[in-house]
Amino acid sequence: MMLLVALLLVPLIAGLACVVIRSTRWLERVNLLAFLGVAGLAVALAREVLGRGPVKAWNGFLYADALSALVILLTAFVSLACGVYAVGYFRFDRQNLKAGSRQVRRYYALTPLFVFTMLLVTLANNLGVMWVALEGTGLACVLLIAFYNEKTSLEAAWKYIIIGSVGIALALFGTILTYYSAAATSVVPEGMGMNWSWLVTSAEKFDPAAMRLGFVMVLLGYGTKAGLAPMHTWKPDAYAEAPIPAAALLGAGLLNCALYGILRFYVLASKCLGTEFPGQLLLVFGLASMMVAVPFVVVQRNYRRLLAYSSIEHAGIMVTAVGFGGKLGMLGAMLHMVFHATTKPLLFFCAGNIQQHFGTPYSRKVRGAIRAMPLTGGLLILVTLAVTAVPPFGLFQSEFTILAGGFAANHPLLGGLFMICAVAIFAGFLQHIVHLTFGSGGGTPTATICPWKNGAMLALAVGIVVIGFHLPESVFQLVQAAAGVIGGAQ
Amino acid sequence: MTSPLLDIALQIAMTLVMAPLMSSIIRNWKAKLQNRRGSPPWQVYLDIAKFLRKDMVISEHASWVFASAPYVVFLTSLVAALMVPMIGVEAPLGMFGGALAFIGLLALGRFFLALGGLDPGSAFGGMGSSREMTLSSVAEPALMLSIFTLAIAAGSTSLSVMVHHAASQDWPLLNSVNLLAFAALFIVLLAETGRVPIDNPATHLELTMIHEAMIIEYSGRYLALLELGASIKQFALMSLVINLFFPHGLAVGEGSSVPLAVGALLVKLLFLAGVIVLVETVNAKLRLFRVPNLLAGAFVLAALALLSTFIFQ
Amino acid sequence: MTPMPVDPDFSSRIIMLLTTFVLVVQLMMVTQRTLVGNIHLFAVQSLLLCGVAGTIAWVHQATHVYFVLALMLVGKVIALPLFLIKLVRRIKINEELKPMFNSPVGMLLCGGFALLGHVVARPFAGRSPLINSTFGIAIALVLMGLFLMINRRTAINQVLALLCAENGLFLAAISLTTFGMPLVVELGIFFDLFVAVMVLGILVFRIRETFASIDVERLNQLKG
Repeated sequence: MMLLVALLLVPLIAGLACVVIRSTRWLERVNLLAFLGVAGLAVALAREVLGRGPVKAWNGFLYADALSALVILLTAFVSLACGVYAVGYFRFDRQNLKAGSRQVRRYYALTPLFVFTMLLVTLANNLGVMWVALEGTGLACVLLIAFYNEKTSLEAAWKYIIIGSVGIALALFGTILTYYSAAATSVVPEGMGMNWSWLVTSAEKFDPAAMRLGFVMVLLGYGTKAGLAPMHTWKPDAYAEAPIPAAALLGAGLLNCALYGILRFYVLASKCLGTEFPGQLLLVFGLASMMVAVPFVVVQRNYRRLLAYSSIEHAGIMVTAVGFGGKLGMLGAMLHMVFHATTKPLLFFCAGNIQQHFGTPYSRKVRGAIRAMPLTGGLLILVTLAVTAVPPFGLFQSEFTILAGGFAANHPLLGGLFMICAVAIFAGFLQHIVHLTFGSGGGTPTATICPWKNGAMLALAVGIVVIGFHLPESVFQLVQAAAGVIGGAQ
Repeated sequence: MTSPLLDIALQIAMTLVMAPLMSSIIRNWKAKLQNRRGSPPWQVYLDIAKFLRKDMVISEHASWVFASAPYVVFLTSLVAALMVPMIGVEAPLGMFGGALAFIGLLALGRFFLALGGLDPGSAFGGMGSSREMTLSSVAEPALMLSIFTLAIAAGSTSLSVMVHHAASQDWPLLNSVNLLAFAALFIVLLAETGRVPIDNPATHLELTMIHEAMIIEYSGRYLALLELGASIKQFALMSLVINLFFPHGLAVGEGSSVPLAVGALLVKLLFLAGVIVLVETVNAKLRLFRVPNLLAGAFVLAALALLSTFIFQ
Repeated sequence: MTPMPVDPDFSSRIIMLLTTFVLVVQLMMVTQRTLVGNIHLFAVQSLLLCGVAGTIAWVHQATHVYFVLALMLVGKVIALPLFLIKLVRRIKINEELKPMFNSPVGMLLCGGFALLGHVVARPFAGRSPLINSTFGIAIALVLMGLFLMINRRTAINQVLALLCAENGLFLAAISLTTFGMPLVVELGIFFDLFVAVMVLGILVFRIRETFASIDVERLNQLKG
């Protein structure tokens, strides 16, 4: 299928082209065009998968089922939103001498490559290639984290690459073990040995000892990438130091890709070992992430780092949902992925606007954002409510579904813990955001309206409100199909 | 192999002749490698003869411990040497004990040597004793561990059985257990015989000396016995290492010729001596505080060897 | 061309020996104090792993393992060590950092890791002689690589530690899956490794410029 190949080629070519282009105008145009193209292709792919089932290309090397299509759709959406916002964001940085033209050029060249690696994660059928692509995402974005070249950004980048590489090494170990558990028990067709589409058909026969160890390793490895506790330590640093569009890509794009990796292995493990062992592991890591996030959210003094802890919490929620299992759990996990990926970028963008206007990431130095920048302040309140799962926003629906799944799976205590964490984070978040938004402004000048930044934010806000009330039927079908892929074992 | 008494006599004679020669050859080759002429190999016999003729100067604070230490050192080394299979697979005193007795005898000798260093109350002697004990607390476990590893492979702590087991393999060293144990034993050998990265037998520098510091108060007959004891200990350890890892040419079974076996032993000993000379020449002496690191390395190698017997069984 | 008759016992003996050497080299890296010395040891270790891969390729007549071997030889034995040495020269680092654990303790811990690797590999023993002799060591290598990372906290040492852990994974991959992973995956892994080392090199350089040191302990401003 040309669709899959095109989906990879568009960002790859755009990225390579941006390495040589020197004019910033053209870099912006190429980036935007590429992300528009990716978004269009992603929609086409989603329709194709919904209509005719899994799509393959290159003799099964590329493979897209509903789960991949969903993650691709979200990745494309997030990268388009970030692409639009980035134009305004970096123009502001250039004007205020925060970044030189070389830095901005590097951003525009690396971002399409970063998107390319994320798409390859979801399209690769071969689990080894998926690993290569996930490692590639880290390499593509580490220089984005080091963007501002300050002491703190170097520190964040270094921690990110070192912790990430250790994690990813464990994941490779897990991948090798999974391959071994398949090869030890059944005859592997030539060249297909690591293909997920083949592995899933014979997962029942795998060697359980190797599969168990392999799943633990993969969960640790890709869990590091997803930022599950206790491997989350790189996350606050990276999210706080990267330029906002890159941070949003990390928090709403890469997070899904890492979880996608875990889910692929979860399907194999649950087929081989039953859902209990992998499910319990996921519950442990998921709830641990939620619980770790609570105190850090409450006492946080840096609102950029606040975003990271929110992301840790949401990664924990999705993993917990899969751990609860059952139809409701899987559906909740996928719904949560959709709502989280659509809501999170707006939160990042609001924080970015505030940081660019006030010039500091520390909450105590920011007061009265709503007076200085009415639009951003208003949207910040809106998106904070959305991201902490207040009805009627989408995340409330998904968390409610997950909770229902937890009670259905006979985990009342864990369900209660889940609720307590969610409420505590809601309270902590609200306290910080209220502090940021209201209060006496102290005579800060009002910000100018930037069409790129504010346009992207308004569009996102409208989207969030709309899907909160009505998720389009076709998207819901895709979500259900994706949940079916993960829950295939039941 | 005829009567046990003859065996014992043969091995005693061989030890007494060859042990000093080995120390002397090492000294001579080392000198050659360093572009010095060096004393002739037979010089050591002349030295010992001269020590035996000389009067002794004994500190007035010294007690009977001081006087008995040289005899204990000499005798323990000699008996330990008799427990090592050198010519044939059966050691002359093999029936009295195996690896444990061998290590124990060496430890006993070391204990008295350290006491002898402390006894006259001189500053250097005490310093040497304390250093020797510090290092041996690391070196001895490594020695034991590596020998026990081989004992596990052979299924017995009798040195004869261990050598026999080694002789039944074509190339014992092409086996990771033996290789690791050999590496550990080699380091221990350097430590136990006071060779360069650990101790320098050629200097009397107060900052570095260990063995020489302990025997600094000795003279005359006692010194001769101590020197002889040290070289016998070295000889015994070297032949043990050789026969455990390179059992080629050993007189095994009926109809094997003893002179050939003695010749083979000599050739292998000379080869090992050559290796030691090389190590001594290319390495500088380690700082005293770094020495435990090296010996800990030997210990870990021995531990890995032990582990490997379970991994690669 | 008739396949060469290879005594499997002999080949497994060679693999055993080589993996033992790999382990010993790793131990030496724990005690080695100078950066350049560590880089040399890493090259030696990679060379030994090439030997393991070569033996396996030879015994199983697996041509594509030869290809992996060539990649390994060019990349890990020659190119990466050269790059790292050049980096060390260029940033003119002479500081010798005290390791977190002194070398006897470090080595004993590594002995413990070897034991742990053996214990973890226990359930897999007996499946094939190759797994018996190498899988435990592969796990131990990964663990020791991670240990190296926290033991000497300079930027370049951490890069090296990462590469050592990767060497362990390489050993695991060729021992668990006799015919290795598909070539495209191996190629991808090598590509990633090269890019990773380049990126890390850039970061090391910038850290050196900004902090006037490559002591990672100084990267301690971000908290909470």
